[in-house]
Amino acid sequence: MQVGTPVVVSKQLFLDHLSRCMKKTQVIGPTKLADGSVTFMPLRSPRRLTFDYVNDLDPLKRFFTPPREDLFAWDLTDKKPRLTAPLPDKPRILFGIRSCDVQGLAHMDGFFRGSFYDSLYWARRNNTLIISLACNRPNESCFCLCCNGGPWLENGFDLQLTDLGEEFLADIGSPAGQAFLQESGLEAARARTRHEHRRHELMEACDAQMQPTAYLAKACIQITNDRVREELWEEMGAECFSCGGCTHVCPCCTCFDVVDCPQNTGQGLRFRCWDSCQYAGFTREASGHNPRGRAKERVKRRFYHKLSYPYIQQDGHPGCVGCGRCITVCEANGLLDITAVVKRLRRDGQ
Amino acid sequence: MENIYLPDLAVVDRIVDETHDIKTFTLSFASRAVQKNFRFKPGQFVEASIFGAGEAPFGFASNPNHPQQFDITVRAIGAVTQAMHALKPGGYMGIRGPLGNCFPLDEVKGQDILFIAGGIGLPPLKSLIDPMLDCRGDFGRFIILYGARTPGDRVYKPLLQEWSTRADITFLQTVDTPDPEWSGPVGVVTTLFEKIDLDVARTVAFTCGPPVMIRFVIQDLLARGFAEDRIISTLERYMKCGVGKCGHCAIGHKYICVDGPVFSWRQIKRLPER
Repeated sequence: MQVGTPVVVSKQLFLDHLSRCMKKTQVIGPTKLADGSVTFMPLRSPRRLTFDYVNDLDPLKRFFTPPREDLFAWDLTDKKPRLTAPLPDKPRILFGIRSCDVQGLAHMDGFFRGSFYDSLYWARRNNTLIISLACNRPNESCFCLCCNGGPWLENGFDLQLTDLGEEFLADIGSPAGQAFLQESGLEAARARTRHEHRRHELMEACDAQMQPTAYLAKACIQITNDRVREELWEEMGAECFSCGGCTHVCPCCTCFDVVDCPQNTGQGLRFRCWDSCQYAGFTREASGHNPRGRAKERVKRRFYHKLSYPYIQQDGHPGCVGCGRCITVCEANGLLDITAVVKRLRRDGQ
Repeated sequence: MENIYLPDLAVVDRIVDETHDIKTFTLSFASRAVQKNFRFKPGQFVEASIFGAGEAPFGFASNPNHPQQFDITVRAIGAVTQAMHALKPGGYMGIRGPLGNCFPLDEVKGQDILFIAGGIGLPPLKSLIDPMLDCRGDFGRFIILYGARTPGDRVYKPLLQEWSTRADITFLQTVDTPDPEWSGPVGVVTTLFEKIDLDVARTVAFTCGPPVMIRFVIQDLLARGFAEDRIISTLERYMKCGVGKCGHCAIGHKYICVDGPVFSWRQIKRLPER
């Protein structure tokens, strides 16, 4: 059993081991709620763990950069004021995360490593074992195929499972993934050609079902060279509700606001919370000056960040993993999600 | 691992009223160890906090050769700055920094130096003017042009007085609207260009002020034949985190807080939005 060599394990025995892990480690996994919907939550027992899902509309980045996260607490009641940073989270396992979200984490890793190391993000990241589950079927909005975001990946996970029916084909992506398997005491046989063959069949069938397409290359050139008519941006700005939904669900979007929350006299918390470049107030300055006061400028900004070469060069890939969440949440009747926008740019073709 | 969002506590040692809405705060760190290791460069900035009101970015307004204390000059305009103005000496601020890149100093030795500042754009330039004057002999001509809305809106009035009496500095100031005591020039800062001789080929220009002023200053400098990399300015955006993460100050793929705030016109002109 070694990193890079796929193995085959019994699905039931693997899940039994995962259930045992729930007793000592937090396991976050796909959970069926009373209304039948599925979301990722900490699981105390395997009872509500489900495989009846494609993905969670609420992006899994929330487990690494939560919608609201404390930065520190202040206490000015003593003679000498005190600032206290939060303690890092305990180790945990994220089970069942889909490939697109794993790819999203890879994007965030680069960003939060960046010129300043974000210790809050990395405390969670380093404490979390990523056991991903490759997709055997897509949603009607999935297009990971176009963005190297899935349905299965070469790396980025600790373990990647492919559901072969009675067995999991497990790709070992890291020493931590290898250790997890070893500690499980499961019998893991080296995967044979027929297993890998079966995986390819499943993945090809999944690819074939994907409906939306996002041919990004041309849009990247157009945006980088500023070869999009201003009128088209105007049009898109007029259609945008500036609701910020697309940025909140995007696995690659990282922007946040910083807010002070006084609690008692002289005490309080500073936290960060998700923010959106699509909000009118995002760039507003105290003087009232606002460099991106119009929706047109904000829509343009969003796609410049996702698709321009300077960003692609910096990040190594476009800022999209093809999860399709922006297609689902966009209020503008399918006009402004990334697949629609690259199509419109291409048709406009300058 | 260090939490990049956690400030150090600094004590307000002194407060100077500059104008009716601008104050200069002289600060030093509460922790001796932090203060001992603290250094900054001209043009860099800090994120300054008032706990409960929030955090905002301010350029250093004092001499980097004297890092035992440092100044920030603050106009009361939003929640954070108004809370700062309510502070008394001995009060606390949270400080993160120094952040951002810096003005070139050693790189422009031997050159003529031209400063064009507007209103509260003078403080960040002062962090460069002060150390340059410490080694005045290393530079050619030294010209400072300062414009303000009214005489009362000028910051550092005693210092301006000192500069105007120094023989080794050409210092000119102008106001948009004079008061009865004002005997100097009236008009926008670019009108002062008429009053000075420039050897354009050996001059480096530094400008800081309101966006509108910067735009006209740069137009004027270019028309006078300044090379694009001899015009140095600062870009201003609301920098929330100061460490290139929150996304608020991004222009194109540059983050003003990390890649800036100091840019040459050659760099600025390439950005997709300005």
